[in-house]
Amino acid sequence: MSPILAINGLSKQFGGVTALAGVDLAIEEGEILGVVGPNGSGKTTLFNVVTGVHRPSGGTVLFRGQDITGLKPHAISRAGIGYTFQQAMAFAGLGVLENVRIAGEHVGTDSTANPWPTPQALLDFVGLSAVANEKAGVLPFGSLRLLGLALALATRPSLLLLDEPAAGLNDRETTALVGLVRQLPGHGISVCVIDHDMKLMQMLCRRLAVLDFGSKISDGPTEAVLADPKVLEVYLGGDL
Amino acid sequence: MTEGLHQDRAGCGLKALRSLLPVLVILALIALVPLFSPSNRFLSLAISAGINVIALYGLSVLFGQTGILSMGHAALVGVGAYAAAILARDFGVGFWAALPAAALASAAFAMIVGIPSLRVGGHHFVIMTFAFGQLLAIVLTNGGDYTGAATGLDLAGPVTLFGADMSDLTRYYLMVVAFVTTAAVASWAIINSSYGRTLRAIRENEKLAASLGINVGRHKIGAFVVSGIFAGISGVLLAYFLGHISPSQFSSFPSIYLALMVMIGGARLIEGPLAGGILVAFLPEVLNLDPVQSRIVYGVCLIAVIMLLPDGLIGGVVRALRAALSGKPKPETQQRNATPSEARR
Ligand SMILES: Nc1ncnc2c1ncn2[C@@H]1O[C@H](COP(=O)(O)OP(=O)(O)OP(=O)(O)O)[C@@H](O)[C@H]1O
Ligand SMILES: [Mg+2]
Repeated sequence: MSPILAINGLSKQFGGVTALAGVDLAIEEGEILGVVGPNGSGKTTLFNVVTGVHRPSGGTVLFRGQDITGLKPHAISRAGIGYTFQQAMAFAGLGVLENVRIAGEHVGTDSTANPWPTPQALLDFVGLSAVANEKAGVLPFGSLRLLGLALALATRPSLLLLDEPAAGLNDRETTALVGLVRQLPGHGISVCVIDHDMKLMQMLCRRLAVLDFGSKISDGPTEAVLADPKVLEVYLGGDL
Repeated sequence: MTEGLHQDRAGCGLKALRSLLPVLVILALIALVPLFSPSNRFLSLAISAGINVIALYGLSVLFGQTGILSMGHAALVGVGAYAAAILARDFGVGFWAALPAAALASAAFAMIVGIPSLRVGGHHFVIMTFAFGQLLAIVLTNGGDYTGAATGLDLAGPVTLFGADMSDLTRYYLMVVAFVTTAAVASWAIINSSYGRTLRAIRENEKLAASLGINVGRHKIGAFVVSGIFAGISGVLLAYFLGHISPSQFSSFPSIYLALMVMIGGARLIEGPLAGGILVAFLPEVLNLDPVQSRIVYGVCLIAVIMLLPDGLIGGVVRALRAALSGKPKPETQQRNATPSEARR
């Protein structure tokens, strides 16, 4: 089966800084792929270039076989790629329910069947029904992350990119998040997740890709990657 | 589940309708003013205020909902006013036909200014609209006989409705109240539609909005165009009311006044434009201020509102009333305490 997302030779320069140096990466249909790497290795940039936040300096991105390289963020979203930001965000001045309602009102036409047909159903799924009428801005941080996830899901993605979704969450919240993300492939949503927490990545991902200085240095089954000498070298001194 | 949602929808609709009610009641009362035989001066002031309020309702969609500030909005009113005057002079087009034509002209101008200006975003837009306002005044002043140069244009045509002459001050007043009501309802309808939600999303967080499939640039231009429609109609009413228009009426000062009015009233509330327009028109009269003094007072008011009352005067009053009634501090703090804050790393 062809991958849902095929990244070929993707590169990105910021002035003199090479954030991505020709990355090849495939995300398979129905998997949860993990992307790890030290700070500044280009993980967020990889997402930003795929989602149109930044224009790539070179390379192509194929989504379900279609070239989506360099499309604008809103077009990428409508094509069926949802994403959450490393900085948790929501529409702070608006109600939680209104947030989710907005997110569901700009769905691309050829989106797949919707497991959560109403904003309320999505809030139930992420466990935020109780705060549906609160302003998003007053939510505690953990709830804000979950709302961010709900917003991305409301766009009915078939591929979801999560940038450090558990950063800043306590253990209980992290466990809840893992439970949610694991259900996504069953709903027809492939996932690619960035995180520094290897325990979390081992729970979520059967496959890992490792970035270092903008290049992919390892890619394969989680256990094999974590035993890869090149990866161990990068994380030398760190807690793997 | 579905039933709950329907109830929720109905609840939303009802809540939305309730928010419109106070404005309709106030406007109904305002429509009764002629019964108390007010002076001509009062009626004239009220008509000017009402004409401003129509433009303010458009500005509230732009600033209050979308978060974009136009500092050249009087120029869009001017486009409407000059369109009406030129259409009447050159083509014998009357008041009612001028309305859609002028609305279209102002909307088109908004699009022409908006496309390059909104690309650059944020503060640049404020500067661009300001520059556009100045530019229009210069063009009108140097337009020779076509625009009447610095003296401007006369517009002598009568305004008739079902055969009745509306030029009479009381009748024109009532007609303006009807237009204000339409503008308020239109702005309310926008605020409570999916389109309004989209604009608020852009106001709150453009990056997030774009990630959710919202074409931010297109909708920002759209909101400016919508505000242009209100401005164009306001311009036609102004031109026919005054019977004479000149470039200085649409330059930077009137633009700043419009922005000030919508901020003082509160751009996000449906009562805001009405309150702002009336207040700014009548305050100098009530306090007996000369133009220089009133400018100072407005300046101080504006700073006070920006610093103390983000929702404008009406928003501030409502919040103060709520706090006084419940005997509790600001609702915001209340909500924060109600949600148990969870551990953060
Ligand atoms: N908008 C930008 N302008 C300039 N340089 C940038 C920009 N975004 C990222 N960079 C640079 O690109 C490199 C990769 O950054 P990126 O944010 O992708 O790393 P990351 O792997 O996500 O790191 P972290 O784990 O800390 O989130 C860094 O050197 C960073 O400074
Ligand atoms: Mg990052």
